[in-house]
Amino acid sequence: MNRFFIMLTIFPLVLTACGGTPASSAGTVDPVILASTTFLADIAQNVAGERVEVESLLPFGAEPHSYQPIPQDVTRIAESDLLILNGVEYEVFIEALLENAGGERIIVTASDGIAPRQTEAHAEDGESGESAGDEASDPHLWLDPNLVVTYVENIREGLTHLDPDGAAEFKSNADAYAAELQALDAWIAEQVSQIPAEQKLLVTNHEALGYFAERYGFEVVGTVIESFSSDASPSAQQMASLIDQIKASGARAIFLDASDNPTLAEQIAAETDAQVVTDLHLESLTDGPPAATYLEMMKYNVTLIVEALK
Amino acid sequence: MYPHTHHQTNQPILDVTHLNFRYNGRNALEDITFHLHEGERIAVVGPNGAGKSTLFKVVAGVLQPTSGEVNIFGTRPNKHVCIGYIPQRSHVDWNFPVTVADVVMMGRSAKLGPFNWPRKKDWEFVHHALETVELSNLASRQISQLSGGQQQRMFIARALAQESELMLMDEPLTGLDTPAQEGILSLLDRLKQEKVTVMVATHDLDQAASHFDRIMLLNHRIVAFGEPPVVMQTNNLIKAYGGRMKVDSEGAMLMDDCCDEEENDHLH
Amino acid sequence: MTTFIDWLAAPLQYEFMQRGMIAAVLVGIVCAVVGTFVVLRGMAFFGDALAHTILPGIALGYLVSGGAREPLFWWALGTAIVASLGIGAISKNSQIKEDTAIGIIFAGMFALGIALISTGRSYAVDLSHFLFGDVLSVSTQSLWLILIFGGLVLLVIFAFYKEFTTISFDPVLAATLRLPVDLLNNLLLVLIAVTVAVSLQTVGVALMVAMLVTPAATAYLLTNRLPRMMFLAAMFASLSGVIGLYLSYYLSIASGAAIVLTATFFFVVAFVGKRTRGI
Repeated sequence: MNRFFIMLTIFPLVLTACGGTPASSAGTVDPVILASTTFLADIAQNVAGERVEVESLLPFGAEPHSYQPIPQDVTRIAESDLLILNGVEYEVFIEALLENAGGERIIVTASDGIAPRQTEAHAEDGESGESAGDEASDPHLWLDPNLVVTYVENIREGLTHLDPDGAAEFKSNADAYAAELQALDAWIAEQVSQIPAEQKLLVTNHEALGYFAERYGFEVVGTVIESFSSDASPSAQQMASLIDQIKASGARAIFLDASDNPTLAEQIAAETDAQVVTDLHLESLTDGPPAATYLEMMKYNVTLIVEALK
Repeated sequence: MYPHTHHQTNQPILDVTHLNFRYNGRNALEDITFHLHEGERIAVVGPNGAGKSTLFKVVAGVLQPTSGEVNIFGTRPNKHVCIGYIPQRSHVDWNFPVTVADVVMMGRSAKLGPFNWPRKKDWEFVHHALETVELSNLASRQISQLSGGQQQRMFIARALAQESELMLMDEPLTGLDTPAQEGILSLLDRLKQEKVTVMVATHDLDQAASHFDRIMLLNHRIVAFGEPPVVMQTNNLIKAYGGRMKVDSEGAMLMDDCCDEEENDHLH
Repeated sequence: MTTFIDWLAAPLQYEFMQRGMIAAVLVGIVCAVVGTFVVLRGMAFFGDALAHTILPGIALGYLVSGGAREPLFWWALGTAIVASLGIGAISKNSQIKEDTAIGIIFAGMFALGIALISTGRSYAVDLSHFLFGDVLSVSTQSLWLILIFGGLVLLVIFAFYKEFTTISFDPVLAATLRLPVDLLNNLLLVLIAVTVAVSLQTVGVALMVAMLVTPAATAYLLTNRLPRMMFLAAMFASLSGVIGLYLSYYLSIASGAAIVLTATFFFVVAFVGKRTRGI
């Protein structure tokens, strides 16, 4: 709570110094393309190919739910010509940054055109709680490669808009990558078939694997934190009911992202037969193996899931 | 537990030589020299801010002199645990959850140590002290439930339980009605019988003149120190009180004690 | 009748609830006993600030130990002790009032912590969990640490009870009795620091000052004897812990907040009760 407030008050001060820098023109200088996260940057880079470079705003290991922007972020956005976002309010911090950056740029919402899942998840009761009402939308669409095909299309469009001369190149890159995504999709389906039907149960830290579960026939038994953000904290009742659900369903594993705090999960696992799998990379790539690209990230995650459940 | 220096009884109980105390760039006490004999009863008189409390705290070993010497029976004050300091009632947290007996027992703390709880002997000292000041029936009252006079007597009892040989009383009579004051003064008589040496800071010149062996007129320096008739002369009083004093047509003296500049916050 | 017992017993079938209750009670008792002196000496702000000054210590520990969680307790403990003695030293040796000294150190340390955390932005979530704590995530190892260090604190308070009472009530008397006043004051600061460090991982920053102050303040309203005050404070703290956890279980609200609300509720009842009965 304190960090958030302090950052909010620092912003206006810092940005009087560096706000409002005009975006560089796309003609004489290389265009600056920014994606919010590392995996989005990788996906976009595959579409952009050799023609332009895509950078990630967030560093490796950071996740947008609890991300604290720094003043340099505003500068980078201000200097960007194209900004690629996931959408579905995944980048909760972006509004303030955009306002302060000023200027103009093309904004691509990668998930445009996909109707997101809703859940009856409750309003968050943690320190970053900000969801209004009972409905919340799940932003984790990228964990279903099938949906990423739409991402690719939206990104291709955006890139073409920015750099019309590259239209043909972007198209062929996009097609090639879409094919790889479909191959990934098939591979996952095959991998997942190794898991006995009654074991296709997922327990995660927060509601991240909803789309993945839908696509590949898993059931999400429950989450440690009943929200889409990892910052909330559960009540005793929620913890108890999760333990009951795990026992009742026979779920074998609790899956955590590398950046999640495992203590609650370990408590829960200790009272059930489940094990805690801590090293998934769901919201960020890694610098080098095992998840240096989006494709590798998905393969890595799926391998861990299959290992734990089969 | 805490060592107490042997009293060299050929020495005066209190011997102060060229004592100076500077605080925040001001001379609170300047070139104070005097000595007291056992059993003496001294009144310390002076306007507010004259340094009476400061003097007591230096004598008690609570503050260290900037220069000069203070000796209790020939040795420095902080080697002794026989000096009782009775605070001004206005400086005490009366809401503190302690009883009269608790406070009096605190006087014995020097004789105990960690993990040592009061023993029979300590309780005997406490009971005796309470009897001497006539507070035995109020021993289990919380201290805010006492009257001003009773509060004062409680601190005297504490000093007695401490086995004090020198008691320094900071304005014990201020704010008490006449019966209560008389009670304290007759208590001082009893103390004299026990050969306890007493220094009392007071504003009441008449009482000072009639109930004390010697009077010290203090205004950062010793203006005069001696027997009442000698000290209580107009010129001395003017030197001590300056413009705060008036002499009316009948020769009685009126004092205007307006502002309190006492440095009472040396300790947090 | 059996349903009431069932209702009481239901949450306790979960190990995390059992550990949580034990932790809440233990931490409550230690905080209440130390908190009695905090309240009597007017050190609530100090206690709150101390909890915040631990942040850079944890951040540093996290960076140095490469993300391991076990050493963090020791970093928190070390930082708390250093911070408490630092505040004590500053406020004693200068003309700055204690209140100001606390404010300066509190703000400076907290800013240092934020700066350290911001160098590795992906650590933020982990550390915020440590700081905000959760009584539901107490491990068996944590319980042992609470028991050992909490017990140590209680032992020292018991040993020096008379001395602490004396220096709190009348420091001048303590000086005339040649009690080691500075040493004792510093010892008390260290005890508060240990209490905060031990309780922090369980109850977090926001809850910390409440556990130190609220039960003791409630007890102060109800008695004017010091031993009774400590006992009542410990009782209110334990009750708040237990009731708060039951509330969290049955009403599905955050456990930390539930405990604080219960403790505050006791205070309000005592306050109003005292007023309506006349003082």
